[in-house]
Amino acid sequence: MISKINTATLTGLESDIVTVETCLTNQLPGISITGLASQTIQESRERVRVAIAASGFRFPHKKVTINLAPAWSRKEGSHFDLPMAIGILAASGELKEQQYTDYAFIGELSLDGSINSVTGALPLIIGLRDGGIKKIILPKGNAEEASIVRDVILYAADSLKQAIELLQGADSKPYNSCVKYRYGSSDGTNGLYEDVVGQESAKRAITICVAGGHGIFMMGFPGSGKTMLAQRIPSIMPEMTYEEMLEATKVYSVAGELSNRRPMIIQRPFRTPHHTISPAALLGGGGIPKPGEISLAHHGVLFLDEFPEFSRQVLEMLRQPLEERKINIARAAHKVTFPSSIMLVAASNPCKCGFYGDDRHQCTCTTAQLNQYRSKISGPILDRIDLQIEIPPVKYKELLEEDNIPGKSSASMREAVKRARKIQRERYINEGISLNSELNAAQLREYCILDTDCKALLREGIEKLGLSARAFSKVVKVARTIADIDEDTSIRMHHIAEAMRYRSLDKFYRNL
Amino acid sequence: MSRSIEELADRINTVTPLEEAYPVLLRQINDPPKILYYIGDISLASQICVSAVGSRKATPYGKWAAFSIGEKLGQNGVVSVSGMAQGIDSFVHKGSLKARGRTIAVLGNGPDICFPSGNIDLMRRIADEGLILSEYAPGVRPTKFTFPLRNRIISGLSAATIVVEAGLHSGSLITAERASEQGREVYAIPGNINNINAIGGNKLIKDGASPLIVLDDILDDMGLERKAGTRLNVELGKDESIVLELIKSGGEVTCDEICRALSRHPGEVSGIVTVLEMKGCVYSALGKIFVAK
Repeated sequence: MISKINTATLTGLESDIVTVETCLTNQLPGISITGLASQTIQESRERVRVAIAASGFRFPHKKVTINLAPAWSRKEGSHFDLPMAIGILAASGELKEQQYTDYAFIGELSLDGSINSVTGALPLIIGLRDGGIKKIILPKGNAEEASIVRDVILYAADSLKQAIELLQGADSKPYNSCVKYRYGSSDGTNGLYEDVVGQESAKRAITICVAGGHGIFMMGFPGSGKTMLAQRIPSIMPEMTYEEMLEATKVYSVAGELSNRRPMIIQRPFRTPHHTISPAALLGGGGIPKPGEISLAHHGVLFLDEFPEFSRQVLEMLRQPLEERKINIARAAHKVTFPSSIMLVAASNPCKCGFYGDDRHQCTCTTAQLNQYRSKISGPILDRIDLQIEIPPVKYKELLEEDNIPGKSSASMREAVKRARKIQRERYINEGISLNSELNAAQLREYCILDTDCKALLREGIEKLGLSARAFSKVVKVARTIADIDEDTSIRMHHIAEAMRYRSLDKFYRNL
Repeated sequence: MSRSIEELADRINTVTPLEEAYPVLLRQINDPPKILYYIGDISLASQICVSAVGSRKATPYGKWAAFSIGEKLGQNGVVSVSGMAQGIDSFVHKGSLKARGRTIAVLGNGPDICFPSGNIDLMRRIADEGLILSEYAPGVRPTKFTFPLRNRIISGLSAATIVVEAGLHSGSLITAERASEQGREVYAIPGNINNINAIGGNKLIKDGASPLIVLDDILDDMGLERKAGTRLNVELGKDESIVLELIKSGGEVTCDEICRALSRHPGEVSGIVTVLEMKGCVYSALGKIFVAK
């Protein structure tokens, strides 16, 4: 007798339905698995055999042939254990066909018959739902992350025995999410901007870059507060939409970064990879490609502290995904695409020792070290970063002053961001973009019209302040965002003047 | 780090003390070079020269001061002399070139070699518009011994030497020492006593160098007539004047400090500072804003 059980397989973030076909024949007992199964799946014959016995069922004394259809596609993952076990039990007559045909199964089996959670459950469930399956039995550990998917009934099972009983009609209540999701942009775990003393200009620049989706580069002496400022960026970003949460959670699911404590991504991610990171860890990769930090920061912030310490190779590879907002990873066996719509925040010291240009400390770098450090940050990667600011050190006096005028709070900054983003969304409704940073050259001409005074100011500024020619479009985009924050329909001279202040690295390099 | 330049190698000339063209002031020192290799206009070296030297790792203030000195000398027809090193030296040359003045770079290596190699464009401009000078034959690489020796030529060419910014062990202090041995005037730009980059200069003042309080002083002391700067009087708006006054009284402020003092919004202040910087009234570096006059 042959049984056919539904499950799915994963390629990148996409999943396709796979049918587990099981056939029992009267030959020497044993299990053979066909259909391009990976090592993990080949090993599952042992887990399945022991788990079936441990659950109190009889493992058939027959030759078991399992085919994973379609047979031409490679399959990977331990979640095939449960569908294979169900298939064997169905083929041996433990289950009737009408009891399981509506269902799909994912889950990894333990030797004692319990079901372990798997990675990539969310995209698997989405794939199954899109393939027309309504009911899914999945590990309890994955139920919470999967419950974000709409239009599908989930049953969480602890063990193989429980799954069989469920199919046989006993007490089959669908899983209901036990957490009521707060749609919030941040719970302030990374802190709020009211804690940052005396960096109002930097906070202003950060408000602008979040409002327009611009990348930002911060240069400052050690201890000036670059990291503090960066960490708080998620606290002023707009709340995640359902689609954004779904996309982000999918990435984390595939990367195996979800847990009971964090079953889904409901707050904007803030990723801070260390500068020793390898290319594959940043961009994604591996034999079976896994998403890297740039995808884990999808819809959130990727913070590269000590930017020039990253290997040049790694920095150069950021260019394409930053531009296209997705990364294509091609391996011999797989070709996958992960999303990477991120806000890039980079920070750096002025030099390797950190004290170049400081009055109070001697810079101990050699000329060669200075040049090497700077050559890392200059160049094409800076083309992708719209705002560059310098963070002056905060004086002790300011830190100690009790009667400090309270600085801008995260809440008020987020209000400004929200307003500006709404204006942009409405303006670009027919363009397929939603932020000023996404404007291309043609759109820039159409939506960022400068009057003659503004043009003159810009031309003069670029010449007098020694800005590079490529700064032109960056300044205009940033000025557009500043105007949006001011709720001004046209770009005025003071917007241009302010925007030109956020090109400080151009000047820094001129002044070498 | 150093780079030889073939197209300059073809333009090298020599001059010895036996020839008329040998720099006048350089003849008078104890150990004048037996031969000078040069590219450019050797007559510049016999005109009124003032040298300005300083640290390779300059602060934004130091760079501004060096640039302004170069510019001031250039505007007034005085030839500036420096060592084309990174930092202060380069900015002295750049300032003079900006004012369409003449400048001399005295090298610690063969005249066909650019050191540091990043100054290649600057070196080409000096060769075209000024003078490159060296006592080393073409092809001689720079070593740590050649630079201190070279310093006697910098001071020897000049009626006065200005130390712009020097740490405690800066090579520019050697130039100052040579200058005073040669009986030339030594100036130092005073700095804050808590500024580590100003210790060398301040120490020179303690040892008898003249503090350079106003850039024009050097012209007055040499009895030269001041020519009006090419800088035009700029018109400032009301807000701009208020901000400029504040920066002037603070000397060195951050954007945040201006916002606090005037209770203005950071965005507004940023815009005003940009305009002031474009008008040449202030300049900013590493988050700090300075007066530029």
